[in-house]
Amino acid sequence: MKNINYKGYYFIAPFFIVFLIFNVYPVFLTFYYTFTQYEGYGKPTFIGLDNYARIITDTYFLEAFMNTWKIWGFNFILQLGIALLLAALFSDLRFRIKGLGFFRAVFYLPNLITVSSVALLFGIMLDWQYGSINQLLLNIGIISEPIHWLNQPFTAQLSVSLILTWMWFGFTFIVIMAGVSGISKDYYEAALMDGANSRQTFTKITMPLLKPILLYVLITSLIGGLQLFELPMLMSKNGLGEPEGSLNTMVLYLYNQAFRYNNYGYAATIAYALFLITVIFSAVTFKSMYRDAKVMKNRGE
Amino acid sequence: MKKFFIVCISITLMSVFAAGCSSDSESSSGKDVLKIWSFTDELEKYGAVEKFEEEHGIEVELTIVPIADYPTKLRPALESGVGAPDVFTGEVAFIKQWTERDYWENLSAEPYNVDEWEDDYVPYVFDLGKDPEGNVKALSWQTTPGGIFYRRSIANEVLGTDDPEQVGEMFSTWEGLFEAGEKLKQAGYRLFADEGAIRWFARGVDSQPWVNENDELIMTDAKVSYFEQAKILRENDYTAFAPEWSPSWFASMDGPIAYNGGWEDVNEESKDKTEVFAYPLPTWGLHSVLKENAEATVGDWGLATGPNPYFWGGTWLGVYKDSKKKDLAFEFVKMMTHDEEFLTNWANETGDVLSFLPVTDKIQDTVSEDFLSGQNNYKFFLEQAKAIDANAVTKYDQEIDTLLGTHVQEYVDGKKSKEEAVQDFYKAVKNAYPNIKTP
Amino acid sequence: MKTQNVLKTENQMIHTPKKVKNSKNKTIKIIIYVLLIVLTIISVIPFYMMIINATRSNKEIILGFSFIPGSSLIDNYKTMIEYVNIWVGFRNSLFVSVCVTLLSGYFSALTAFGFAVYQFKGKNILFLFMLIMMMVPGQLGLIGFYELNKFLGTLDTYIPLIIPAIASPFVVFFLRQYLSSTLHPSLLEAARMDGAGELRIFHTVALPIMMPAVATMSIFTFIGSWNNYLVPLVMLFSPDKFTLPVLMGFLKGSQVAENLGSLYLGIAISVVPIMIAFLFFSKYIINNISAGSIKE
Repeated sequence: MKNINYKGYYFIAPFFIVFLIFNVYPVFLTFYYTFTQYEGYGKPTFIGLDNYARIITDTYFLEAFMNTWKIWGFNFILQLGIALLLAALFSDLRFRIKGLGFFRAVFYLPNLITVSSVALLFGIMLDWQYGSINQLLLNIGIISEPIHWLNQPFTAQLSVSLILTWMWFGFTFIVIMAGVSGISKDYYEAALMDGANSRQTFTKITMPLLKPILLYVLITSLIGGLQLFELPMLMSKNGLGEPEGSLNTMVLYLYNQAFRYNNYGYAATIAYALFLITVIFSAVTFKSMYRDAKVMKNRGE
Repeated sequence: MKKFFIVCISITLMSVFAAGCSSDSESSSGKDVLKIWSFTDELEKYGAVEKFEEEHGIEVELTIVPIADYPTKLRPALESGVGAPDVFTGEVAFIKQWTERDYWENLSAEPYNVDEWEDDYVPYVFDLGKDPEGNVKALSWQTTPGGIFYRRSIANEVLGTDDPEQVGEMFSTWEGLFEAGEKLKQAGYRLFADEGAIRWFARGVDSQPWVNENDELIMTDAKVSYFEQAKILRENDYTAFAPEWSPSWFASMDGPIAYNGGWEDVNEESKDKTEVFAYPLPTWGLHSVLKENAEATVGDWGLATGPNPYFWGGTWLGVYKDSKKKDLAFEFVKMMTHDEEFLTNWANETGDVLSFLPVTDKIQDTVSEDFLSGQNNYKFFLEQAKAIDANAVTKYDQEIDTLLGTHVQEYVDGKKSKEEAVQDFYKAVKNAYPNIKTP
Repeated sequence: MKTQNVLKTENQMIHTPKKVKNSKNKTIKIIIYVLLIVLTIISVIPFYMMIINATRSNKEIILGFSFIPGSSLIDNYKTMIEYVNIWVGFRNSLFVSVCVTLLSGYFSALTAFGFAVYQFKGKNILFLFMLIMMMVPGQLGLIGFYELNKFLGTLDTYIPLIIPAIASPFVVFFLRQYLSSTLHPSLLEAARMDGAGELRIFHTVALPIMMPAVATMSIFTFIGSWNNYLVPLVMLFSPDKFTLPVLMGFLKGSQVAENLGSLYLGIAISVVPIMIAFLFFSKYIINNISAGSIKE
C-alpha cells in the first residue's frame, strides 16, 4: 500500500492557515507595537523600550493590578467556600438531600446569562437612588440609609466581587460535585463504618481526593479573573473604572488606553504585561498545588 | 431527547438564515442609498431625512450611535472605509480632531466652494468647521449658546418675580445664584438638579482652550473655582441628586421627584420629595430635552442668563472623503445648512436656533415660544452667541472634560481634598495623553 | 443524571442502620434546606426584579420597589424598540454563535483526525506549538488582531468573529485525546480496503465516533461565543450588526436608559429566552460541564 501519511497535512492545513493568520500573527504584531508609539492613525513611531519603562512605573497599572486581585480574590474565596459547603452537604450520606438536579440548575442559571446583561442589570439595580436593591433592603429594614454602592471604592469593589460570586458559585459547585461523584463510594462507606463524622469525612477523604479538580477550578478562575472586563466597564459611570479608579482592572485599562485614548503602543505593552502576570501566577499556583498533592500522595502510601 | 435537540437546532438554523436573507433583500429596494451616521435622532425626527428621500428619489440609511460610543465606533469605519457613511455628523467635542484628520471632504475646494457662504453664518460656527489650514470640512445649521431655563411658578413664589431680566440679574453673580439657592431650599425646592449642571460656566468664563499650541494643559482660575462652586452647591444642599441624563433628571422636569433616596414613604405629601427650579441648558436643550420630558409644566418656563455666557454642544456635518456619492452627500449637507426654505421650516418646527443668518434675520423678531410663556428664545440666544470663541475648542475636550468632571465629583463627595483632586486630575490627563504637559 | 442516580441508590442503602441520630439529623436537614432555599432565592431574585420592573413605568420604579407587576409593559416596549432593536441583536448573536460552533466543531474534528491518524514530519512540533499558543489569552493579540482586520478590510463584518473559530486549539486537543482512545486503527483499515478515500473515511467513520465529544465541546463553544463581548465590541461598529452583548452595552448609553422600565425590559428580553432554553437543556448542559471538567 502506498504511503498516505502525507495526507495528514491536508487535514491540519485549514487549522494552521487560520491559526497563523488570525492568532499567531496578531500576537507578534502586538509585540512589535510594544516598541512603538502608535495612535492607530498614520504610521507607528519606533520608541524602543519607552513603553516598558512607563509600565513599570505606572501607578494606574499597579492600581489596576491590585484591584483585579482584590475583586477576584474575595470572590474566589467566597465562591469556593459556598461550592465546597454545598458539595459537602450533597455528598453527605447521612442527610439524603434531595433535588440535586434542581439546585444545580438554579445555581448555575446566573452563569448562563450574557455578562453584559448582568452588568447592566446590576448597574441599575445598585443605583443608590432608584435601584431595586437599596429599595428592597430599605423596605425590609436591613439598612436605614441608602448605600452608594457604586460611588465608594470599597462597596463598588465588593459589589463586583459579589456579582462574580453570584455568577460563578453554581459552576464551581457543579464542577466540584462532578469531582466528588468521581470518588469511589467505598471510601465513604468505610468512613461511615468507622464512625467518622461529616467534617472528618470531608477533610480527610473528599478534600485530598479533590485536589486535581480544585486545581482546575483555581487556574481557570484565576485566568478568567485576571481578564475581568465587562462588569467594571459597564458598571462604572464613564467606563473609566470609577469610583476613584477602584474598578479599573487590567483589561479595562488596556481597552481605554487603546480604544479611548488611542495609545495603541502602550496598550500592547499592557497586554504583554498581563500575559506575563498570568503565566507567572498560573505557574506558581500549579507548582505549589502539585507539590502539595505529591506530598499528600507520598504520605498516603 | 436527542431528536428534540436536533429539531431545535434545525429550527434555529433555519430561522437564522431565513432572517439573514430577509434583511438583505430589504436594503436592496433598487434605490440609491445614502448612508448617514449621527449621534442624535434629530435628523429623522423632524422630517429632514424624509424630505431628502422624497426630493431625490433615494433611500437614506440613518445610523444613530449614542454619543458615548460615537467616536470609538465611527473612527475605525472612517479609517478603514469599511461600512463608512457618506455623510456623518460631529459634535463639538470631536470636531477639532476630525477636521485635523483626513475624514471629511474639503468643502472649500471645487465644486463645493463653500467659502463663499462664510458671511451667511454666525462666525464661530463657521470657524469651528475649518481645519488648521482654514479649509472648511464641516458645516452646521445651528448655534448652541446656553442660558438657564427656570420654572416661572417657582420663581414667582420664591424670588418674587418671574421676569427673565430680573431673574437673570439675580443669577449674574455666583453670590446671587447661591443666595437664590438658599431661598429655594427654605421653600422646599432645589436650585439645580446636580452639581455637574454648572460645569459649562467654568468653560465659558474666559475662552482658553484646554491645551495650547505648546501642548500645555491650561487650568484657568474659572476651572479651579468650579471645584469650589460645586462644593458649595453640595454642602448647602442646593441640588436634588439627579445627575444629568439620569432617569430622575428627566423626571424632575415634570414635577416632584424623590429626593435623597427618600422613597420610604411613597405618599404624595412626603417631605422627601422636591422640585428642581432650574436647568442650565443650551439652545437644543429646549426642544430635545425639556419639551420631550415636560407635560404638566408646559408654559411654566422662563429663560435667563447665568453668571457668564457659555456654549454647549453643536452638531456639524460634512461629506466623507472616500464617499462614492459625494454629490448626493453634499446635497444633503447643503439642505441641512444652506437651504433657506428648509431651514425656515426647521426653525419654526423645532425651535432650534440657527446659525444661518438669512433665516435668523428674518424670524428672530417674531418668535414667541409658548413653552416659555411667549418669551423670545431666539433673540436671547443669538445675543449670547456673540460671546462665543471658537479658539477655545480643542480635540482633547471630550476626554479632559470627562476627567475633570470625575475629579470634581470626588472632591464634592468629600473623598479628596481640593489639592489632591486637582493633582490627580493632572495625573489622569498625563496618563491619557502623555504628550500633554501638566502644571 | 448519572451522578444523581448513583447518589440516590447509595443513600438508600446506607441510611437504614442509623436511626438513633434521626432527630438531630432532622434539624440539621431543615437548616440545610433553608440554606439551599436562601441560595435559590439569591440566584433568582435579580431576575424576578428585572421582570417586574420591565412592566413598570419609569416614575413607578424611581419611587419604589414592588413585588407586583405594573401595567406599562407595552409602553416600555414601544420606547425601547424606537431606539434599539434587541431582536436584531438576537439574530446576529445567534448567527455568529451557530457559525462559530459549526466551524469549530467540524474543523477541530478534522485537525484532530489529522493529528491522531497520520504520521508526518513535524507533527509533534506542530502539536506542541499549538498547545503553547493555547495558553495565550485572547487579549494579548487584540491590538494586532484589530490592525490585521483593518488591513484586510474585514472590520465591521462577522469574519473576525467567525473565521478564527476554525482554529480552536483547545477543542482540537480535547478531540485528539478522545479520538486516540476510541478510534481503532482496524476500523480505518477496513474502510480503506473498501476503497474509501481519506476524507470519506473521516466523514463516515471518524466523525460519527467523535460526535459525543464534539457535542460536549459545542456547548462550551456556543456559550463562549454567545457571551463574547470584547472582540465584537472592538470589531463591529454598525449598530445593526451588533451582537447581543454589545447591544446591551450600547443600551446603557442610548436614550433607552432614560426610561428605566424600558431598560429593564431590554435586559429582560436578552435574558429570558436563554432562561427558557436552559429549562430544556439544563441537564444536558450541566452533565457536559461535569464531564468536561473531569476529563481535563
